[in-house]
Amino acid sequence: MTVTAETAPPRPAARRLPLAAAGRLLRLELRRNAMLWLLPAVGVLFWYLAYRRTMALPPMWNVRAMSMQGTAIAVFIPTVVGAAAWTASREAGRGLTELLGATPRPRWARQLVAWAATTGWALAGYLVCVGALYAITARQAAWGGPLWWPAAIGAASLPALSALGFTAGALLPSRFTPPMVAVGTFVLFEASLQLIHGADSAWQVSPLVAGPWQLGNSEGLATFYRYLPDLPIAQLIFLVGLTAALLGVLGLPADAGGRWLRGSASAVTAAGILAAGGAATLAGTGRLDPHGMIAIPALHDGADDRPVPYTPMCSPAAVPVCLHPAYAAYLPAVAGALAPVLDEVAGLPDAPTRIDQAATMYRERGGGIDVDGPTGAANGVYRIVLPNQLPGPNMTIAESADTVRTNTGSDIVASVVGTGSDAQRAVTAAILGASDGASGSAVGLAAQRFSALPDTARHAWLAAHVTDLRAGRITLEQLP
Amino acid sequence: MTATEARPAAAGPGIPRRLIRLYLASRRVPTAMAVQVACALVLWIALHWSWDAYGALQLPLLFETACACVIAIATMSPFGEPEHVTGRWLPWLRTGTTGALTAAAAVALAAAGIGTDLAGGAPSAVRNLAGLTGIGLLCAAILGGTLAWIGPTVYMMIGVYALYSQWHGPAITTPWIWPARPTDDLGAAICAGLVFAAGMAAIALRGARDEARRGPE
Repeated sequence: MTVTAETAPPRPAARRLPLAAAGRLLRLELRRNAMLWLLPAVGVLFWYLAYRRTMALPPMWNVRAMSMQGTAIAVFIPTVVGAAAWTASREAGRGLTELLGATPRPRWARQLVAWAATTGWALAGYLVCVGALYAITARQAAWGGPLWWPAAIGAASLPALSALGFTAGALLPSRFTPPMVAVGTFVLFEASLQLIHGADSAWQVSPLVAGPWQLGNSEGLATFYRYLPDLPIAQLIFLVGLTAALLGVLGLPADAGGRWLRGSASAVTAAGILAAGGAATLAGTGRLDPHGMIAIPALHDGADDRPVPYTPMCSPAAVPVCLHPAYAAYLPAVAGALAPVLDEVAGLPDAPTRIDQAATMYRERGGGIDVDGPTGAANGVYRIVLPNQLPGPNMTIAESADTVRTNTGSDIVASVVGTGSDAQRAVTAAILGASDGASGSAVGLAAQRFSALPDTARHAWLAAHVTDLRAGRITLEQLP
Repeated sequence: MTATEARPAAAGPGIPRRLIRLYLASRRVPTAMAVQVACALVLWIALHWSWDAYGALQLPLLFETACACVIAIATMSPFGEPEHVTGRWLPWLRTGTTGALTAAAAVALAAAGIGTDLAGGAPSAVRNLAGLTGIGLLCAAILGGTLAWIGPTVYMMIGVYALYSQWHGPAITTPWIWPARPTDDLGAAICAGLVFAAGMAAIALRGARDEARRGPE
């Protein structure tokens, strides 16, 4: 044995696994990737457009997670697509295509590594942003756990967006490609939303859609009943298929690699197109389920139709107001708003013994969605629906409580004292603290007189005369 | 060879025309013009479609952004440092080219509004284009020509959100986010104009930043 043979270190290349070279290439790409430098801009955009808007919504997992899905993806669309296009066209821009073509590594493999680096940085940024939003929501939410499907759809969108930009940049390497494909993709996503008309639209496969498009951020969804994963599953299949198809296209040109590699790329492209097309077809078979989510028959699990068990949170009062624990933040305000009415009618015939929150029911009709809240009394339980469970502008907790007092309070009083006669109107006005008729009218004066009574005297008079009052046998003059 | 033939190129009266032609070619100005016309054409076609209120307001901003990105990217020089020492025409060429591209984009976008319902009309489109172009030019001066699209694209997202906030509140009313302001808002026009002027000044004096690691041509 020679000295050289004894002391020479083994050649590193001889011991390296094939994947080690790819790992080294990935590390290089990660260090010099444009997406890394875009992350601060993405962070600012996420904070300004998605985080602030989402955190302004009530601390409920369904509302925040479903709202976050669309806005977070929208933030990432132009940045990820643009960065990926820029990365893909960089090779041609520097005139290195021929030089790199002479290296042993196939072009497709190099491109996949560059795509993986872009996607990796985008995913890292997304996870940090969404992680922060979920962590704060976890501290604020009164009930339930994180909804992972919206976050997963956002995460699955990034490889697809990156693949879209990368393919465009590789096929059309030009200085103008990154902004054109970034803005163009945003326009396409926006245009696709315009095409959604009903729960059976195939365009719902767009990852920006988190639920029935016409409903927006409705608190009534996915609280009393489960969040249906049918549409997210279809979206996930679509995104995976789209990613595979786009990455496969990169491997089709003659200079992408050998025959075996191009054959594999063709197979991946075909499989991706089939998966994406199949997912869009599945989304087109969706229907609005009675609880407001999109159900896709081929993907639907009947177990998801069962209501979610919960223990209601009730106010400590003679007539308790009980809400779903997800709405715990509303309880003090709503109970306080109804307390004057409930204290007044407590114990009277036909007065409710308890106020319960009901789930909303959804039905598609024409181009829109009807939302019904089963309100009213049954067996001593009066069922209410909070305004934010219904479509329309989101109300603050105080606004919601005011609306409940106006609507539910008057309904409860009417159900106890009746409606129609002057005496009934005067008593109702006195209990609700509202003016009835013109100032100085007979009904208004009677209401003022009745409301001026001590609480106990008023309640005692009602207990003694409510049957006659409801039957219309009490006149204004007979009111104390 | 005579003395006349050996004179430097910039000295002859007919030479600047050739210089201009070469400068425009080096900045891919013909392609930029074609892309701008294509953007305006697609916008014109899209405006014939039925959009909801969000889409109708946001759509022009997206195409204005695309045109602004093209103008900003066209500032990228393929020659880098050597070009800076070649003569005194460079600031004028940069200003003239950028100004001409902006004017062409403004005309194209205004033309897209003919016979369609362009939200805000041509004045709003020109104001937004000017402001976005200013952002792109500043980005080109700071980040380099190939990355100049980042600024207008990020601003586009803020503008889209500001337009959305007009319905869902709280409405964003600062004139610095001019796409969400009415056409006759003087403050928004001044802000957009200031940004455009700053961008033009930066490009005229410094040009797009030379990038050690250039992107695509």
